[in-house]
Amino acid sequence: MDILFLLIPLSVGLALLIIVALAWAVWRGQFDSVDAEGERILRSD
Amino acid sequence: MHTATRDTGAARQAMRWSALDERTEWEGFSRPLPGRADLWESYLAIEGMHCAACSLTVEEVLQKLPGVDNVQVNGASAVARVAWSPGQGRPSAWLAALQRAGYGALPAGDMLAAAPRIQAQRMMLWRWLVAGFCMMQVMMYAFPAYIAEPGDISPEAQGLLRWASWVLTLPVVLFSCWPFFSSALRDLRNRRIGMDVPVALGILIAFGASSAATFDPASRWGAEVWYDSVTMFVFFLLSGRLLEQRLRDRTAGSLEALMRSLPDGVERQGADGTFERVAVRRLVPGDLIRLLPGDVIPADGTVTAGESQVDEALLTGESTPLQRRVGSAVIAGSHNLNGMLLVRVERAGSETRYAGMVALMEQASVQKPRLARIADRIAGPFVLLVLLASAAAALWWWPTDPVHAISVAVAVLIVTCPCALSLATPAATLAAAGALARRGVLVRRLEALESCAMVDTVVFDKTGTLTEDRMAVTVSRTREGTTAAQALLLAAALAQHSLHALSRAIVQAAGTVMGSAVDVTEVSGQGLQGHVAADAGGKSYAMRLGSAAFCGAPTDVQAAGGPQVHLSDEQGWLASFEMDEALRPDARPAVGALHALGLQVQLLSGDLVAAVTRLAARAGIDKAYGQRTPEGKLAHVRELQQQGRRVAMVGDGMNDGPVLACADVSVAMGQAVPLAQAKSDFIVLGGQLAAVSALLQHARRTRAIVRQNLLWAALYNAVCVPLAILGFMPPWLAGLGMAASSLLVVLNSARLARLPG
Repeated sequence: MDILFLLIPLSVGLALLIIVALAWAVWRGQFDSVDAEGERILRSD
Repeated sequence: MHTATRDTGAARQAMRWSALDERTEWEGFSRPLPGRADLWESYLAIEGMHCAACSLTVEEVLQKLPGVDNVQVNGASAVARVAWSPGQGRPSAWLAALQRAGYGALPAGDMLAAAPRIQAQRMMLWRWLVAGFCMMQVMMYAFPAYIAEPGDISPEAQGLLRWASWVLTLPVVLFSCWPFFSSALRDLRNRRIGMDVPVALGILIAFGASSAATFDPASRWGAEVWYDSVTMFVFFLLSGRLLEQRLRDRTAGSLEALMRSLPDGVERQGADGTFERVAVRRLVPGDLIRLLPGDVIPADGTVTAGESQVDEALLTGESTPLQRRVGSAVIAGSHNLNGMLLVRVERAGSETRYAGMVALMEQASVQKPRLARIADRIAGPFVLLVLLASAAAALWWWPTDPVHAISVAVAVLIVTCPCALSLATPAATLAAAGALARRGVLVRRLEALESCAMVDTVVFDKTGTLTEDRMAVTVSRTREGTTAAQALLLAAALAQHSLHALSRAIVQAAGTVMGSAVDVTEVSGQGLQGHVAADAGGKSYAMRLGSAAFCGAPTDVQAAGGPQVHLSDEQGWLASFEMDEALRPDARPAVGALHALGLQVQLLSGDLVAAVTRLAARAGIDKAYGQRTPEGKLAHVRELQQQGRRVAMVGDGMNDGPVLACADVSVAMGQAVPLAQAKSDFIVLGGQLAAVSALLQHARRTRAIVRQNLLWAALYNAVCVPLAILGFMPPWLAGLGMAASSLLVVLNSARLARLPG
């Protein structure tokens, strides 16, 4: 059970990291036009 | 709207664009690029883009032009962002290059206004994502406490789980909840009590008590934490707000896109006597301007040379085009139809009659009656009651058990959850607005759906609303030996050479033009003459088309009332066509449907009384009022409102603007002038009048569903609040009840997403 005292703080840190990643995605405009992102792969450049 | 206005050659097109090169014009859709002193960024809406590859082509086309630094094209919104230096580039060159590549473009000044809206949207999305993600993780940490028997979890493990929950609830409370806190603070500062006050209080008390339990488990607060309830509660509330914001922004965006247009340029005589293209806003009284057929007249003035027909329908409601000669006055906002005019400007800009009408409209919209929303009327007392009940419950339990007292108070605050109450109206109106949008009705003001259900009188404008923007042949009389269809074909052969509104109507009525006419000349104010051959290569006859005197029509075929066109050949009078405005095909059924809903229908127009009465009879409307100025229309609707009637106004023209702004509910037709649309609650796209009765009917259903939702919220609270006060409801159960109740309200509202039939 002692491992929990390492794993739970780790999971908290991971959750905070994911929140930061979400912020990065939101403010880069990745959710602004969700439909268009699927077409990006078809571009030549 | 008029085919003549679209009748522009490439040279005239280029001339229109040249107005874009004036700094005052391009500043309207550009802003200085931050950090780069010499560069500006401009927004263009691209037309004709169909796929992702198109956006690449557009980028390449613009990138190659001089002065252009950098181009980005958003394929989804079809907007190009151009970074350029004004010293080296010209916006008109971009439009010309795009035209050559096969794309149309319009300045998109609305994108400048959209930037803060996109910021707000992203912020809301981030708040929602943080709340959702933290909620899921906090549920994980809360799970052991729900399934464990007493003593299963060691105090250290329990402390660890609570500490982890606290860390992840902190961003939710500090960041995601900010909209609730700021709105609650604003309410308190204004000495009001809104829905967000108990929400904010519930969150703060629950979080505060849980924090105390986490950091001092030995204290009397240590028994209970409510992190999972708090995060879930916030997530549900934010979901509702996010959806509401999305829909509002989408309608706002599509409406602003409607307003995109090229700057209006006009040919003005310079000091050397030649005409040059300048932007309309640079006109001053005394200027001499040249107007070609199809131009919109940009200022009030007097004709100094030329002769033409002018369409003032948008300003006055007058349906027949008016003849303007040397010395006649013309007004800004009307269309020059078929001749070239030289006009001496007398009033420009804010001095014109057009601008006066805009001012009247602004003034009328301030005085618009506002119905208090049902939910708002209930909210104040309800929220006060909730606060009192929770305080009373806490006081009651405090002497016996302070922890239980806090738990009960939080349970009362959460279980009453203004959620169901505050979702009752928006969920229903949003679902209804979505359904209406699919039916071709854009909802500009969600609140108007509630007033819409109370409407008992529908007032229609005539020209352009009940009628199509053209004339139709209603009665034909012909000389013996000729059928109406033959006569119409011969007339059409002549009429195709003229831009006159009646000529265009004849060509349209004939359907196809079979014969051909040569040597056609237009005798101003009289009609057309020329040689017409009934079929290609056949013998041709000299024929005339026009007024009764011009064609020698006998008096017994001349009718009073509507306009008439006559046709004659070498043997004299051949045929007469009576014309009237073309009624929209669904006008009569639409009026019938409104009568069936128990509504009174009226017709209110600026046109001549005779024309209005005639059209009212054809549409099945029994109350018709003609020759009303915009001020007169406003007075008429105000009078109806003073009689206690709730009026829905349906219109399209500039002259309807003030009355649209003052009616309880206003509906603009899709082709209406932008200013009329800007003052309306609803916009009917595609000119379908049947959508008006569908709108009123759906508004009534919406009101019924809102009432069901409110009734449910009331019943739910009547049962759960006493239970919570008596302490039978722990906060987690209160949270569950709140969620279930909100879900029921949302599902009930979702029934509105489908239109009946």
